[in-house]
Amino acid sequence: MGGVVFVGVSGGVDSALAAALLVEQGYEVVAVYMRNWSRDLPGFACPWAEDLADAERVAVSLGIDLEVWDCEEDYQRTVVDYVVDAYARGYTPNPDVMCNQTIKFGTFAQMAFSRGADYVSTGHYARILPPEAGGAPRLARAACERKDQTYFLWRVGAEAFERVLFPLQDIPTKEEVRALCAERGLEVANKPDSDGICFVGPVGLRTFLLDALERRAGDVVEWETGAVLGKHDGAFLFTIGQRRGLNLGGGPARYVVATDCERNVVYVSADRDCPALWTDTLTLEDVRWISGEPPALGAYVVRTRHTGPLREAQLEVGAEQVTLRFVEPVPAVAPGQSAVVYDGIVCLGGGIVARRDVGR
Amino acid sequence: MKSVYLDYAAATPMTTQVLDAMAPYWSEQFYNPSAPYAPARTARRAFEDARARLAHAIGARPGNVTLTAGATEANNLAFASVAGPVVVSAIEHESVLACAEAHGARVVNVAKDGIVDLVALREAVAGDAELVSVSLANGEIGTIQPLRAIGDIVREERMRRLERANPTPLFLHTDASQAAGHISVNVSSLGVDMMTLSAAKLYGPKQVGLLWHADGVELRPLVLGGGQEGGLRSGTENVAGAVGFAIALEQAEALRPAESRRLRKLAALVRMELRKAVPYVVFSGPSQDARRLPGLVHASFPGVEARRLVIALERKGVYVGTGSACAASRMRVSHVLKAIGLSEDVAQGSLRISMGRLTTNEDIAYAIQIIAKSVEEERGRSHREVRA
Repeated sequence: MGGVVFVGVSGGVDSALAAALLVEQGYEVVAVYMRNWSRDLPGFACPWAEDLADAERVAVSLGIDLEVWDCEEDYQRTVVDYVVDAYARGYTPNPDVMCNQTIKFGTFAQMAFSRGADYVSTGHYARILPPEAGGAPRLARAACERKDQTYFLWRVGAEAFERVLFPLQDIPTKEEVRALCAERGLEVANKPDSDGICFVGPVGLRTFLLDALERRAGDVVEWETGAVLGKHDGAFLFTIGQRRGLNLGGGPARYVVATDCERNVVYVSADRDCPALWTDTLTLEDVRWISGEPPALGAYVVRTRHTGPLREAQLEVGAEQVTLRFVEPVPAVAPGQSAVVYDGIVCLGGGIVARRDVGR
Repeated sequence: MKSVYLDYAAATPMTTQVLDAMAPYWSEQFYNPSAPYAPARTARRAFEDARARLAHAIGARPGNVTLTAGATEANNLAFASVAGPVVVSAIEHESVLACAEAHGARVVNVAKDGIVDLVALREAVAGDAELVSVSLANGEIGTIQPLRAIGDIVREERMRRLERANPTPLFLHTDASQAAGHISVNVSSLGVDMMTLSAAKLYGPKQVGLLWHADGVELRPLVLGGGQEGGLRSGTENVAGAVGFAIALEQAEALRPAESRRLRKLAALVRMELRKAVPYVVFSGPSQDARRLPGLVHASFPGVEARRLVIALERKGVYVGTGSACAASRMRVSHVLKAIGLSEDVAQGSLRISMGRLTTNEDIAYAIQIIAKSVEEERGRSHREVRA
């Protein structure tokens, strides 16, 4: 084996091991720290400098070059603006999905190839299967099902995977990743996981959104009765299934079952079996198929959140939209979330949830 | 693994004498010095005794010493005493530069060795400047400034204003945090109007410092409240901190002659051995011993990225700074190195090796060997910032 690999190194344990494995496999490895966000928010100091210091430790101990790529402009434009705009419209978007499409397998990959990379690599838990006769390589779930990240990769096209390496694809557990890092003397071995949105994770979505959008007082309405139960400070701050932050002052635990951002209303219910919390049909928009071609109609398994259960559904591909009809009703999914379609372990692609039919 | 600490300019370990002297005031003598009952008076006495000893050590009267939470606060307090334009050197500490910016700073350039341009300084103070602030010694490249000459310029300008009936006051402030313990910080021989000191650089506690001011200076408080420190710095007095600071400064002054000589020899050894091991090393700062801090060596290795080098050294137990810690986090070359005209390629590979009381010849021998080896390994390893 050989060739030049540019590997995205975040300062975390997964990308550290990815880089180490590539070095051991004989590639010429260049580590790249993508700086996507460095702004502090109220009550939250962005840890990018510490993350970079950890990435530097990895590069020094592996004896490889490290470059810092300033991707903040692209990230702002394609991820942050998209996220804010989606929330403003009452959607619950997934930033990681966009970041993988536009930054990691967009800006980063393009620049790496233009700089002479033969491959790009990341510490994603995902697997690339060789193409079937004449086709393109396929994306499949990682050996470590509990950490599988294909849910975040459905918008990346097959052509990108032709020159992508996922060194963690066969590692069975996260514990194994940590052990392999410790074995190699990589100090990040014990660094805690940073699941979720890099900048929203520690600060909380609320702080992030209130930095970008104006508060607007509105009613919290009981779904069953239409009674006004209280006030909220912006329907865009709430998502389906949410329990916290409602401030209804006692009474039974209530869940958000729907939001209407145009009228600025948040609907809640105390009933966990409230029909609005369940659905059997999802309509998808902005659909992408990794191979470029829609799959045949029929039965597939679908995931509507990262590492969530795989549920059986019938796929119907129309001219404008794709419909998923679930065999059993599933917990409601907020518009804006991703629904990702699998055939066995192979990730076929997916779409953004546009509409759900209420009921079970 | 052997471990060698060579970053005394960033932090110093407290001595047992300092620790022991502070110990009673955390718990046994915990009283608020302002409380009216007898036991509290012990705390008050200890605090005022510490102030008197600090004043004595710098050749001043206790009433002119204001205790603060560190040197940064003392610098802020000094700048708050004036409203008009201020003059600073281009290689001041961030706390001075930030305060100066808020006042409309006139920044005076320095020569290659870091010594402030006195001609430019004279021009900058003329007319309406109210404060000149130049550190006694620079913490990154070790330059000791000709403070007496700067004081002469300030006094000449005062005379000129007096003759022209210009009532604008003009004061000279110096941050002597890095200098104390290495050179004299006697205020009358320095000829300054205000001086900042930090306990943290003197083997004393962190977040303890002082601002001395001459009689003519009118300080204005930044921290308002119960009116402690003559109303100049409210907040319950840090008795333990002040006591520790006093012992630390006295110890530093007692050890200073012998320790300075010893450190000077160690620094000479570092320069000689580094030059032998890495012939292309670039040293910055003045070349005359009298013009530089005894225990500090600023060394640059062109083609090496200092941040990587620091990590490589840390892995071998050698702890060295890159200079200005704040500048390090954004991957920009430090303002000090820019000001002395060091090219970016050279500046990027800079280490600040600062030695102190616990540094031995064996430490230096080990550190040099590790630095030479790591420079060799890291040379040519890139660490670039690219705009994507």
